[in-house]
Amino acid sequence: MNRTVRKFLKNPFNMIFLLILISVLMVAVFPDLFARYGPYSMDYDAVLEGPSLKHLFGTDQFGRDIFSRCVFGLQKSVIIAFSSILFASVIGTVLGLIAGYYGGVWDLIIMRICDGFFAFPSLILALFIVALFGSSLLNLIIAIGIVYVPIFARTVRGATLSVRESLFVKASKVIGKSNFKIMLTDVLLNLSSVLIVTFTTNLSTAFLTEASLGFLGLSVPPPEPTLGGLVGQGTAFLLSAPWITLFPGFVIAVVVLSLNILGDGLRDVLDPKNR
Amino acid sequence: MSFAYLVRRVVTSIPTVLFVAFVVFITIHLVPGNVVDMMLGTQNYLTQEQIDQLYKEYGLDKPLIVQFGIWLKNIATLDFGTSLRTGKKVINLIMDRFPVTLELSVLSMFFATIIGVPLGIVAAVKRNSFVDGVLRVVGLIGLSSPSFWVGAILIVIFAGLFQGFNIFGYVRLKEDFLKNLQVMFLPSLTLGLMLSAQIMRMTRSSMLDALQQEYIKTAKAKGVSHSKVIGKHALKNALIPIITLSGIQLGYLLAGTIVIENMFALPGLGRLLLQAVNERDYPVIQFVVMFIALLIVVLNIVVDFIYTLVDPRVELR
Amino acid sequence: MKKLLVVILAVLVVVAVFAQKSGGRLVIAMETEPVGLDPHLVTAFASHRVLENVYDSLLKYGEGMKLVPNLAEEAQAVDPYTIVFKIREDVKFHDGTPMTVEDVLFSFERILNPDTKSPAAAFYQDVESIKAIGDNKIEFKLKKPMASTLLPNFAGVNSSIVSKKFVESGKNLQLETNGTGPFYLAEYVPGNYMILKKNPYYFVKDQPYLDEIKIVFMPEEVSRVAALKNGDVDIAKINEPLNLKQFPEGKFKIHRSPVLSYYLIGINTTRKPLNDPRVRNALNYAINREAIIKTVVFSEGVVTGPLNPAVQPWALLPKSFDEYTYNPAKAKELLAQAGYPNGFEFEIVTSQRYNFDKVAQVIQAQLAEVGVKVKIDLVEWGIFIKRWRESDFDAFISMNSGSIEPDIQFYRTFHTGGSTNVFLYSNPRVDELLDLGRSTVDITKRKEIYDELQRIIVKESPVIFLYSANQIFVSSASVENFKLLANESLVFLRETYKK
Repeated sequence: MNRTVRKFLKNPFNMIFLLILISVLMVAVFPDLFARYGPYSMDYDAVLEGPSLKHLFGTDQFGRDIFSRCVFGLQKSVIIAFSSILFASVIGTVLGLIAGYYGGVWDLIIMRICDGFFAFPSLILALFIVALFGSSLLNLIIAIGIVYVPIFARTVRGATLSVRESLFVKASKVIGKSNFKIMLTDVLLNLSSVLIVTFTTNLSTAFLTEASLGFLGLSVPPPEPTLGGLVGQGTAFLLSAPWITLFPGFVIAVVVLSLNILGDGLRDVLDPKNR
Repeated sequence: MSFAYLVRRVVTSIPTVLFVAFVVFITIHLVPGNVVDMMLGTQNYLTQEQIDQLYKEYGLDKPLIVQFGIWLKNIATLDFGTSLRTGKKVINLIMDRFPVTLELSVLSMFFATIIGVPLGIVAAVKRNSFVDGVLRVVGLIGLSSPSFWVGAILIVIFAGLFQGFNIFGYVRLKEDFLKNLQVMFLPSLTLGLMLSAQIMRMTRSSMLDALQQEYIKTAKAKGVSHSKVIGKHALKNALIPIITLSGIQLGYLLAGTIVIENMFALPGLGRLLLQAVNERDYPVIQFVVMFIALLIVVLNIVVDFIYTLVDPRVELR
Repeated sequence: MKKLLVVILAVLVVVAVFAQKSGGRLVIAMETEPVGLDPHLVTAFASHRVLENVYDSLLKYGEGMKLVPNLAEEAQAVDPYTIVFKIREDVKFHDGTPMTVEDVLFSFERILNPDTKSPAAAFYQDVESIKAIGDNKIEFKLKKPMASTLLPNFAGVNSSIVSKKFVESGKNLQLETNGTGPFYLAEYVPGNYMILKKNPYYFVKDQPYLDEIKIVFMPEEVSRVAALKNGDVDIAKINEPLNLKQFPEGKFKIHRSPVLSYYLIGINTTRKPLNDPRVRNALNYAINREAIIKTVVFSEGVVTGPLNPAVQPWALLPKSFDEYTYNPAKAKELLAQAGYPNGFEFEIVTSQRYNFDKVAQVIQAQLAEVGVKVKIDLVEWGIFIKRWRESDFDAFISMNSGSIEPDIQFYRTFHTGGSTNVFLYSNPRVDELLDLGRSTVDITKRKEIYDELQRIIVKESPVIFLYSANQIFVSSASVENFKLLANESLVFLRETYKK
């Protein structure tokens, strides 16, 4: 493991973007340290001001500081993206393990359902759930999470199939370990690198999905800021006050870019083919 | 590629599509606020009996499972339903909107390919060089930028630089060909730019794989020219993953177009679906979603089929 | 006042028309698309806007929201129980068949037939009988003495005259049109555009001036702005006043007018602590309406009381109510009286359309200053309607379409058990005033009744009235005679032309 970490950090690229991501996380965890204004505090005398030293990213229609809203929006978006992928990975892994380890009818049913979800474009599916059940934080996490369940299920199933036939699993069976224990220890442990890579790469797309929902006005309702929501609110003013749209979009791009580069880097060091 | 395979693929995808249809059906009907509510809005002018009668007319008074059965039966007889709000045949609505989405998708794929494939080849040939590094970052930036953000930037730039360029105001292809292409330019460029990043990455990695194959090395040793090795031998082999990716992307494009259709005011399938959800126009929601699911399933089959054409070694059973 | 209220409406005198006024094609960008085309059924604004140019009613609104004759050349409230219309005899439907008293009778029978489910049926529920007198007059007998109250309804799209023959031939009016209006519907591509063409049979001489109107549907503001700047469209509806900066004077004309529809906070008067009128009234004082208008619509709006200030002679002006002056100290005082010196918490349910969410955010910030915590529950429109209908809310923010007739605006909204009284508000004195206002003919007496009513409603605040936003259209400078009406109709398109 140590060797892997060292190899990962040796790449200056990975280093830089890891630092960026860590600072983004710091901002998300301690928004109050970074935001100079409250996310909801309105200033009727500073309406729609362009970027300046006072308001780094300018202000919106209510004189709210876009930078501060981005900071708090970042927190919401990180929570949503992270929780939904966590949700997806837990459910997906369990389903994938069952399908891959037991095979047979289980495999058939689970994989057919996954196919069904795959035939449903991810954004449409999430949009559907949110439009219909309302856009509370929890609903949003579940809506985005469900989209990613089949991806985890499929990946884990594939990996489980190969691990199942390996010598040590057979050995565990011989010494009388229960199926449950084998799945939990031997199989899951062997899947960890696959899971880590799948987790990071999908984290970035989940982030984008949340942003797209926000853009369509389906993310957490205002006045709560989310990054996608900020972009969406700005589009009506796109030609008069482009900063409302462009800065939050930039923040999204930076976060997703860091996640993608780290995912790439992780794949390089974890993927057996590259060892 | 046997006929039997095709039949089997089609038959096995039927449950998938039915599953999608069933889930959609149940969800949309369980949601608060139905089509009658939406019609009345915040003005209550009908008596309860009249409202009940409306339900009956729309067939909403029966148990859900019965309604689903009726819907299935109608689908089987190629009756795809009638919009409750506009009174139009759902199939006509789709035939009206789908060409817009299709055109957008095809144009986006076009931009994605002409940008992505050449850059991918360059990156593979100049592997680990400075150019490769720059292209990698550019590709990742493309992957990481939300489409609506790229679209917004393009709108601001084009509105500022090219006065008189038609960014908005969709007209149908057969009405005004040139204007249609102008209006479609920015949205498809937006989507194309984002897709090109994936295609570039895929081209690079599969080209690298191909370049390491024995027969390429043999060809090189035999003195076949560099460009011919890349163009003819390596690229041909690298095509399979690229085609797969493009096929899958074309499916997912349908989702991506919702955002872009909204941003650029294009009357496509995504907009139709959003509107139908807002109005609780059940037959429209139901069939549009199923139509998209069908499209994706068919696309997957077609992609597999193209495999066999490109690479005879792949055999479909 | 005369015992009999006689409303004699003069025949519209057509102004001499210059040759260059006629001809041309106008392209209008609208945000919303009609939902259905049956004039007796449509409820959407977007449908009304189109259909009032395709169909005619017996009366219509002229400038300043005055009722003027249309298909009826004369309307007379003979006594409080009787209205007689004299029908024009020179009118033809778009298919060339002449319009007769038969068609008028048929249209009202269709509206009143419960199977039609027309929203207009409710307006005419107190009509006892309708009959033709001779071949050019029609008489309405009423169960209640409300002839003058009823008249505005005859100007609505929902009271349009349709062709008996056309409907009985089995045509579906939701899909096909055949009216008498200045334009006929030539083409409709859903999600895209609609083309109205000049009706050659139109009964007003030389009108309409335009040969063709193309209405394109562009839901996004930014596309309407860009299309207008590019010259792709001649007129566009503008919702974000900020975007007016994009249209330099000289090249463009800005058309704005106040509207009857108004933003409101509706309150469930049965839930604690908002069941206490003092608490509701405190909210009235704690809200700074000018600030809302300034930030949400960039000052393109007016504060409104129970009736829009433009609705004269009935409306009491906002400044005649103490509550409409921002006064947080008074709000706190009232809250303390009611037993909530430190404020309280409640939920506002609303939806993300027509700026509701923005209004909610400003109100949330304002109420926080008097210690009242607001939780905004932003739901999808369908869910909103359901909760609205079931009175499942502490409070909601929404928009109501107003009326020039106080009875139409107030009766169903504030009468105990009224069909849109989702506030569950009940006050015997209010009920009494509403019934009295409906049957009173004398204008001075009626005004007294509605004055008292407005005072009670503001004091007890089942509804907190906020503001009316201006409607704004921008046109290229070449568009002439484009006029707006407070009911947001575009009925004046028949007089519009391009230079």
